[in-house]
Amino acid sequence: MTRARRILAVAFVLIVAIAPAIVVQVQAEIDHAHELGKQLKCTCGGCEQSAGTCYHVGGQFSGPCGVAKMMIGEIQKHLDEGMTDDKVIAAMIKEYGPGAYMEPPKQGFGLVAWLMPGIYLIAGAGLVLFVISRWRKRGVAAAGKTASAKPVSPELLERARLLAQEATKE
Amino acid sequence: MDVFGSFALLLAFVCALYALLGGIAAIFTRHPLLIKSARQSGIAACCLIFVSTLSVVYLFVTDNFSVAYVASHSNRDLATFFKVVALWAGQEGSLLFWCFLLSVYIFSVLIAYRNKHGELMPYVGAILAGVQLFFLTISNFVANPFKSLAVANASGGLDYLARADGSGLRAVLQYPEMIIHPPNLYSGYTGFTIPFAFALGALLARYPGEKWIHLTRKWTMIAWCFQTIGILLGAHWAYAVLGWGGYWGWDPVENASLLPWLTGTAFLHSVMMQEKRGMMKVWNVWLVFITFFLCILGTMLTRSGVVSSVHAFAQSDIGGWFVGFLIIIMAVCLGAYFKNRDYLKSENQLDSMVSRESSFLFNNLVLLVACIAVVSGTLFPVFSEWFTGSRISVGAPFFNKVNIPLGLLLLFLTGVGPLLAWRKTSAESLRRNFLWPSTMGVVGMVVALASGVRDLYALVCFALCTFVATTIVVEYYRGARVIHSRTQMNWLSSAVELTLRNTRRYGGYIVHFGMVMIFVGLAGQAFNREVQKEIPVGGTVNIGPYELLLQAMDQKQEKNYVAERMIVEVMKNHKPVMILFPERRNFPAGEESGTMVAIYSTLLEDLYVVYAGVNQGSTVPTIHVFLNPLVKWVWFGGVVVVLGTLVALLPSRQAVLVLAGGKATEPAAGFVPAVQSPVSLREGHD
Repeated sequence: MTRARRILAVAFVLIVAIAPAIVVQVQAEIDHAHELGKQLKCTCGGCEQSAGTCYHVGGQFSGPCGVAKMMIGEIQKHLDEGMTDDKVIAAMIKEYGPGAYMEPPKQGFGLVAWLMPGIYLIAGAGLVLFVISRWRKRGVAAAGKTASAKPVSPELLERARLLAQEATKE
Repeated sequence: MDVFGSFALLLAFVCALYALLGGIAAIFTRHPLLIKSARQSGIAACCLIFVSTLSVVYLFVTDNFSVAYVASHSNRDLATFFKVVALWAGQEGSLLFWCFLLSVYIFSVLIAYRNKHGELMPYVGAILAGVQLFFLTISNFVANPFKSLAVANASGGLDYLARADGSGLRAVLQYPEMIIHPPNLYSGYTGFTIPFAFALGALLARYPGEKWIHLTRKWTMIAWCFQTIGILLGAHWAYAVLGWGGYWGWDPVENASLLPWLTGTAFLHSVMMQEKRGMMKVWNVWLVFITFFLCILGTMLTRSGVVSSVHAFAQSDIGGWFVGFLIIIMAVCLGAYFKNRDYLKSENQLDSMVSRESSFLFNNLVLLVACIAVVSGTLFPVFSEWFTGSRISVGAPFFNKVNIPLGLLLLFLTGVGPLLAWRKTSAESLRRNFLWPSTMGVVGMVVALASGVRDLYALVCFALCTFVATTIVVEYYRGARVIHSRTQMNWLSSAVELTLRNTRRYGGYIVHFGMVMIFVGLAGQAFNREVQKEIPVGGTVNIGPYELLLQAMDQKQEKNYVAERMIVEVMKNHKPVMILFPERRNFPAGEESGTMVAIYSTLLEDLYVVYAGVNQGSTVPTIHVFLNPLVKWVWFGGVVVVLGTLVALLPSRQAVLVLAGGKATEPAAGFVPAVQSPVSLREGHD
């Protein structure tokens, strides 16, 4: 084998060995861009779906939406430039505005959306506990009155038992 | 036929108007003739709406493209059954269909109770006529499905015309569930009108006794059942057609359908406190009012364009009408409540914090909080625009983060509720009742951990599912054991007999079991995987244990569309499993395309394959594959929920009397009589 042939053979082996890794890397990044797209709202204006899931009615065709594909392409471009995930999201928000958030930001007015359910639950639980304790007090008072009432006679209890037995037989 | 249908619709409006005004007059005068004429006018309005609806269907089937609505939603090549269901494909037709379903309910009520509840029915009839009148006003004067196609001529008049062919039905609507999803969902929405009418009527009439609450409960269950079916069919439709791999995207329309379902569920639980203990009358009446209010609010949200939605095809400028109607509803409810609130006075008292009553209160709290969270999340973009000037989006991640913990809390209460006795649960009873379910819950969590589940929510969900399922099984076992020992029936027959003797209680348990199955399916979402890849013919893509080989691409010419499809061989662990045909359909009539997903579904997982298009540059097709675990459990769970609801609607065969003291007559665990009398009576749903 000549030297040139030897170099070619080594190069071929290296390419064969590295190519799948490159393909896998590219594939992983395509999927990652898609994943990141799920954190951003599709700006097609026809739905509230993310760029990663926008298949809304009224798009170019019902899945995937053309605008979403374009946004995922931009995300891919940012990833290719070596940006981190946070920087990609920040760059996209800078470009498309706060309307591109998939969930409200945890600051400013967006914080209201996050806090409200917790406040409802805590306030509601407090109310329920208050109501229960109030109704319990009434229950205790009523039980006191019942306890002082005339007890049920053994004859009446026996009659009830017989009636119950008859009903069961039927 | 369009003139005939239009005239019938107008006449229906007149009849409904009379039913309302005559009904109000009848309430004040108590004149028998007036009561009868108002009722008959209501029945006539319903019949005329049936005629009008059939007219629209006839126009579709006969391809009458001179009618604007038909021309916009059908075409000659459309399959006949799609032409029939195109009735509800757009705003005008779906509102008429809404009227139609409401009329089916009203007709049934007016006929079934014509000789019953003489004091109550004039109120109920007038309220139903009022609601019907609103929708007839919309259908007649705002969104009329009989409007002809016309163009303005030079003299300022109109030239009527007919198109040779229509624009066709939207691509995503050409799917079998289009036939059954909207009728079920609308039957749910419209069905909640009936309990609303009974509750409001009883309050206005100060109707004596508790009969009205039984009627309200029964009709709520019917509407709730339809709403459940409608929601699940909608989810299945979204899953099978939209191609994004999921079935619940927290779209405003989905949220709107969930709202009355949540409050309706709360009512179906809290109403038991009124029936058994005479408690919470005010709360129950308001739950019924709010449920109906949310039905109309949801309709307004999704049809007015206030919030954007995947159901954009059914939007137009009718929001103002709905806002007006909502204001009227709230004013009437508030007025009726403040005028007659003493009628709802009840002696609310509890014996113990640890009781069935307390668990129902917390159940109602969680359902209501979930409802408010969904409403506020859905409307948050609108609020943020009002307050800050910029629209902040609220999508699926927010709703999931907020509602998953609430859902798990609710699941926990589903298991706890049946283990607690009415009035008071003793420490001994608590220990005995919780032993098996808690043990099995822990076992469930350990098994999930051992199976590699590491997602916290999924772990908790599996543990709670085991806990609730064990609760139900133990309850069934204890009840069936009594029948088995007395009658020597086999265990299965004993369980059936037990169910038939107390359909409400055990139907309720079946519903709970269905919900457990749904939660198992929902937990599966934590493990969804997906891969999107461009593959040439002969190429493969791997996901989990599956390998998908693109064997070929072909085309299929159908009457109404041309399909371009992938032929994909699926192999699992290197063994061929089946061939899937994901396709994209091009509909020339509407110049639209749509996906048809191919799904290989097992109890364990769904392999969900989408033909996602062709790369314009390389002309290589793109495949999008999802591996979604446990999805089938959601659909099967839905079927079980519906079966349970149907069982609960059946009348019980007989009340079960159980004597305390003897072995064979030992009360089921969880039942502790309030007063320690030797005789205890078990009846009704717990």
